[in-house]
This record gives sequence, C-alpha cells and structure tokens, in this order.
Amino acid sequence: MADKNYYSIDPMGRLKCHKCGIPLIKGKAKFMYLDNGFPVELPVCPECGFVYVPEELALGKVLSVEKALEDK
Amino acid sequence: MIIGRTKSVCPVCLKVLQAEKVTGTDGYIYMEKTCPEHGSFSSLIWEDRLPGYMRWSISSSVSEPPVDGKKPEKGCPYDCGLCTDHLRKGCCVLLELTNRCNLRCPVCFASAGEAAPHDLSMEEIEKQYDYLMAHGGPFNIQLSGGEPTMRDDLPAIIRLGREKGFSFFQLNTNGIRLAEETEYAETLKNAGLNTVFLQFDGLDDNVYITLRGKPLLDIKRKAIENCASAGLGIVLVPVIARDVNEDKAGKILQFALDNMPAVRGVHFQPVSYFGRCGLDRPDKPVTIPAMLRLIEEQTGGLMKASDFSGGGAENPYCSFHASYMRHSNGSLKLLQKKSGSCCCCTTSDDSREFVANQWDGEGERFLLPDGEMSETSSLDDFLEQARQNTFAVSGMIFQDAFNLDLDRLKRCYICEVGSEHGMVPFCAYNLTDIQGRSLYRNG
Repeated sequence: MADKNYYSIDPMGRLKCHKCGIPLIKGKAKFMYLDNGFPVELPVCPECGFVYVPEELALGKVLSVEKALEDK
Repeated sequence: MIIGRTKSVCPVCLKVLQAEKVTGTDGYIYMEKTCPEHGSFSSLIWEDRLPGYMRWSISSSVSEPPVDGKKPEKGCPYDCGLCTDHLRKGCCVLLELTNRCNLRCPVCFASAGEAAPHDLSMEEIEKQYDYLMAHGGPFNIQLSGGEPTMRDDLPAIIRLGREKGFSFFQLNTNGIRLAEETEYAETLKNAGLNTVFLQFDGLDDNVYITLRGKPLLDIKRKAIENCASAGLGIVLVPVIARDVNEDKAGKILQFALDNMPAVRGVHFQPVSYFGRCGLDRPDKPVTIPAMLRLIEEQTGGLMKASDFSGGGAENPYCSFHASYMRHSNGSLKLLQKKSGSCCCCTTSDDSREFVANQWDGEGERFLLPDGEMSETSSLDDFLEQARQNTFAVSGMIFQDAFNLDLDRLKRCYICEVGSEHGMVPFCAYNLTDIQGRSLYRNG
C-alpha cells in the first residue's frame, strides 16, 4: 500500500524514506510469522531501517506464505 | 455431576428431550436424557476428563445466519432447511447425485443401493446450484451419493457448477472407477474437480471386507496412483470402528505421509450409527479424545494429541484438526493455529487483517551493494516446499440419535441439499431412530 507517510518517490523515480529524506537502498530484512523467518532483500532506509514492502509482494507471495503457515 | 445442559432426541421416537452432560463414575463425559415413553439413555460423548473437555471449547462465537432462512415452526431439528434459528449459513454442501453404488457397504449413512435407482436429473442439479447461490453460495461442493462416479456425466456436472460460480469441488468416492479407468482422474481434473475424498479404511483387506463388503486395497492403491499421475490431490478418509480398525490409524497416517504430495491429508470419520450401520453401537463409541490418543500412540508421538484443536466455525466438539509441514528428514512441524481463524469457508469471507499487520518487517539493518532492489527467493522456496509438504490431519464426529446435541447441530455448516427441504445440516439429514426411520432422507 503506497503510504505517503513512510516513503516518497523522487523525480528520478527512486524510493525515498519520508522521515529521513534519503533514498532507500537494497538491504536485508526478515519476514517473521508464526515462528518462521524468511530472509529477503528489499529497499530499506540506511538511516532508520524502514523497509519498503511492495504491495504486490505483500498481497502476493507474502499472503500466500501466511496462508500456508496458518492451520486452516 | 452435571456440567451442562442441552437438548437431544429420544433414539426411539426422535422426540426432543432435555439432556444433561454429566461426568460419569469413570470421569468421562456422558449425555443423559429420559424419554417419558421410552426410558433413559446415557451416551459417552468425551472419553477424557472434565478439564480436557472444557479446554477443547475454544471457538468463535460469531454467528452467520442462513441467507433467506425459513421461519421455524416445530423447532430444531424438525425445521431444517435452513431455518432462522440456525447459526451458520453453510460452508460445504453435499450434493447426492445418485443413490446407485457399486459397493454395498455394511456401514452406509446414505443407505445407498436400497431404494430404486435414482439419479438427480441435470435440470434438478442446475436448480440446486441456483438455489445454493441464492442462499449464501458459493459453497464448497461435495459430490456425493451413492457413488457419484456411477454417473457418466460427472464431468459435465462439475463444469456446470463452475459455470454457476462454484470454485471448489470435492468428490466423495470409493475409488473403484478412478482405479479401473486410468484416464478418469485426468478427465475429472480437467472438468474442474479439486480434490478426491477417498474412502480408505486401512492397509489390510480384512478391514475392507468388514466395512465395505469386499477386499479393496489394490483398488485404493491404483486409484491413488492414477490421481497422482493426473495431479489430482487426494484426502484419505478412513471410517474408524471399534474392534475393526481402531488400531490402524497410525499405519494409515504413515501411508499417507509416504504418498505425499499426491495425498494431502487424512480425514478420520469414526463410524456413525445411523443409516445402514451393520455394526452394533458400542458402549464406548470413538470420541475425539479417544481418536487423538490412538493417533498419538500409533504414530509413536510423531503426531501428538495436543497438536489438535476443534473447529472454529462449526461447534468445536464436532471436529478435530491439525496441519503439519514435513521436513526433509521426515519430521513434522506443527503449523500453528492463527487465533480467530475460520474453517474452509471462502477466503473472500475472511475478515483478514491487512497482511502487513501480520508480518513483522524485522530489519537486520545492514546493507548490501546497490543493484536489484529486492530478492525474495526464500518466499518462493517456502511456497514450493509448502505445496509439496503440508499435510492435514482432521476428523469429524458425526452425531446419531444417542448423542445428538442440538447446540452442536445449530452450528453445523455441512449441509445436504435437496429440492424437498433445501439445505439440511448433515447430522439432521442422516439422523435415524433405532428402527432406521429418518426425519429427512427419502422423504
């Protein structure tokens, strides 16, 4: 979800951290859910550690993994 | 000691009676009731002590009333169809396509093969699909019978359902046709079938002779092989009966694990003492805790009784359920129950919170050189692993006239659908008195 409170897109099309005002760069992050961890690399803010999760990732693979981990 | 009150029926006349849940002298939980005309009845409902019984009762209290329910007149369980007193709108619906069957099982809740052969016409089936869509559908459709594969137009029936907007089709089958016709599984899959619920009572032909009237193990194996070749998922469905195959649960589970990913899980059904049941009702029918103990003992603790919980949408005392992920070394990891999660209902109905709230973006906060901005292969790897290695173990304890609990029945979401009564909860539809007379079936 494009939430303008957390990031913005500069004229060059780069993602910027709204709080720190600097471009996001590729960084390591880990999704945690129900005691499972998934190391990924995503755009992060080198200053505050904000991780940008693209909507299509959140509603796609991440949601699928969440469903797979849940006891339905 | 009385621990609860509910309503039930007299097993002789099916009149509604007040019933009490009590702890017996053995510490287990019983249902007791007295018919002024036919005497007192006591039935084991929970083969464990009170704390375990109480702990099991964790479920959603949210009700989902039926869509366009009918006004009750005589009261539960006589007004099913569904009536406005029912607390569930339905989730899985059985469509009995035919009463023909190529077996004559000594235990058959549908009493298949006894009456004159009758198939639902395609027009009737279309009418039922339309009725379901107008009453809260789409639901998960269970193609049932009789033996539904007796019909040559089964693929057309599935295709018609898909055109009507149903997206999940399950075939309840003995597997004979799937075994005998190599291409049949693929034909059904191409028509839109999602999964096969295969009667599978053990790995020993004596069990089949007792429960199904003939040896069938080779047929079961062949059916599984053919479904696997077609990429059609299978759930093994063992009926479990005291002194027949209660000692076979572990072997069935191991066989299922050995045949993953074609076999997706095992769904136990302790035998129901309604319809045509050639077995005497034992003093201690298999209850949920007894079934879970059998599973734990016979899997050597690979699956533990404590792994399981009751259903969230139905009454928790109707079912048990656990899901696992199999690791490459053969060990199983229990998948945790997400609090508030519901049953197999359509995900569109889930009030799922936005996924970002469920995940903790725990940044490790050290950086890599610039380049491609994301790399998520761990998620891809997991999804592939999950597809191949998740395994569900579940079971449902159907009710009969001895242990029928109307509080449970009111939360039933598995319905039979028919033109005469509409959607009728499974345990009401199949309820028979001790003479075998039914409230709803055949009339």
